[in-house]
Amino acid sequence: MNDFARRMLSLDRRLIFLLIAIVTLLPLLYPLGLPIRVSPEVRKIYDYIENLPEGSVVLLSLDFDPSSKPELYPMAVALLRHAFRKNLRVLGMTLWITGTSMAESVVAQAAQESGKEKGKDYVFLGYAPGGANVIISMGQDLYAAFPTDYYGAKTAELPMLTEVRTLRDIPYAVSLSAGTPGVETWYLYGKEKYGFELGGGCTAVSAPGLYPLIDTGQLNGLLGGLRGAAEYETLIGIAGKATAGMDAQSATHFLIIVLIVVCNFFYFLTRQEGRRG
Amino acid sequence: MSTTLLIGAWVATGLSLFMYSFLYKDNPFFKLGEHIYVGVSVGYGLVITYYEVMVKKLYVPMVQQGNWWLVIPLLLGLLVLARFIPAIAWLSRISFAFIVGVGSGTAIPRQISSFILQQVQGTLKPLMADGGGGVWFTFAGLNTLLILVGVVSVLFYFFFSIEHTGVVHRVARIGIYFLMVSFGAAFGYTVMARMSLLIGRFDELIQYASPDYGYATLVLLGLVIVGLIVWERGRAPESGNV
Repeated sequence: MNDFARRMLSLDRRLIFLLIAIVTLLPLLYPLGLPIRVSPEVRKIYDYIENLPEGSVVLLSLDFDPSSKPELYPMAVALLRHAFRKNLRVLGMTLWITGTSMAESVVAQAAQESGKEKGKDYVFLGYAPGGANVIISMGQDLYAAFPTDYYGAKTAELPMLTEVRTLRDIPYAVSLSAGTPGVETWYLYGKEKYGFELGGGCTAVSAPGLYPLIDTGQLNGLLGGLRGAAEYETLIGIAGKATAGMDAQSATHFLIIVLIVVCNFFYFLTRQEGRRG
Repeated sequence: MSTTLLIGAWVATGLSLFMYSFLYKDNPFFKLGEHIYVGVSVGYGLVITYYEVMVKKLYVPMVQQGNWWLVIPLLLGLLVLARFIPAIAWLSRISFAFIVGVGSGTAIPRQISSFILQQVQGTLKPLMADGGGGVWFTFAGLNTLLILVGVVSVLFYFFFSIEHTGVVHRVARIGIYFLMVSFGAAFGYTVMARMSLLIGRFDELIQYASPDYGYATLVLLGLVIVGLIVWERGRAPESGNV
């Protein structure tokens, strides 16, 4: 038994890579349709958007670049679909320069899909350098922070922004972030000073660090990683990329748990033998 | 389908497979992919910074719209580059003094308010709730108690001014358990994030394996495998010589 345990512990790690690849691939090819339970922190964001009056302006800051696309892009799509379905007006922007084109394409595509008009139903401001300073500047004068939108139109002349001069005129903002500047920056320099409600979306790596902000009410809700995106897709009733990936996520997690348990079992077997001498 | 989209799909598929080939072992495909990634990232960052910042936020407002006050931030920016010329390197201190001064002044009060005062406030919530004709200890109260015990015991663990013996040792020990749970949760989330990235890539590789994209994934996977076999065979005599 101990020889077997030692052999298993020195197994070629490439076999584990292969196992993970198979377990990830199979549910993507043949979906299992495992149920997705919606967590309270995701539902809070959904409920807040659901209860906003028609025509309200929602700020969506897409603070990520293509390296975090698998986790955060599905969140952006789900939030935009929900906002447009509720006839809310969306103010899109990014604090990450390398994510500008991707952010523009997701906002424009979701708007086109919902039949929304640029400048009237949605505005994409693009990128401005400065991170926290951009938020402070937007809080004082949005037209000064972004004299033109991404497409070169003057923000002061856009129909959607005639009543939106500062961040104080925005009831709700959501930052989808892969780091800094991101959710924390929006809270520190935006929500606390200018009074709008703030929701967050982040990569799974960042989620544990943001949970304390929910408990204190500093964030009204949080979408954490692919799971958060899948939960939001469940709430709006449109299964997207995140829902499709959740079966694979569950399958790989199951395999990893099995591997941890088995490896620990073998490790203790060999350790006991070592103690006996 | 447009030719641009098709070329993009083939390039994305090829580079993904090159990078995943590292799971077999370090090889020329991986090295090629790695170097392309570094080069493209830097090039993309430079071009987009030039266009989005230098042109859109500086040149157009200053030269075309006459906002000449933007000369001040431009000068401050240029002074940072003085660091590369030893004779005038001291000039860069003006810009750094400005950055540090404004940055600290803006950040410190907000950090203290948000991440110390409000977090402390969140730790000190009432344990009992009023309802149902009396004051009761609720499930939320249990959470509050856990948070309180966790915060206090972890603070004890990081309190190095006195020796950890007796009661202090026992409380610090509880703090270690809380830290272990927090590390476990953080690691679990990290695994979830990495798997999500893998799922994202696999999702696109499956999409590019379709006839619409000319079976890009299958063709390139075959080529990478053949390439690795050829590379291994070519390497065998070299290894023998060494």
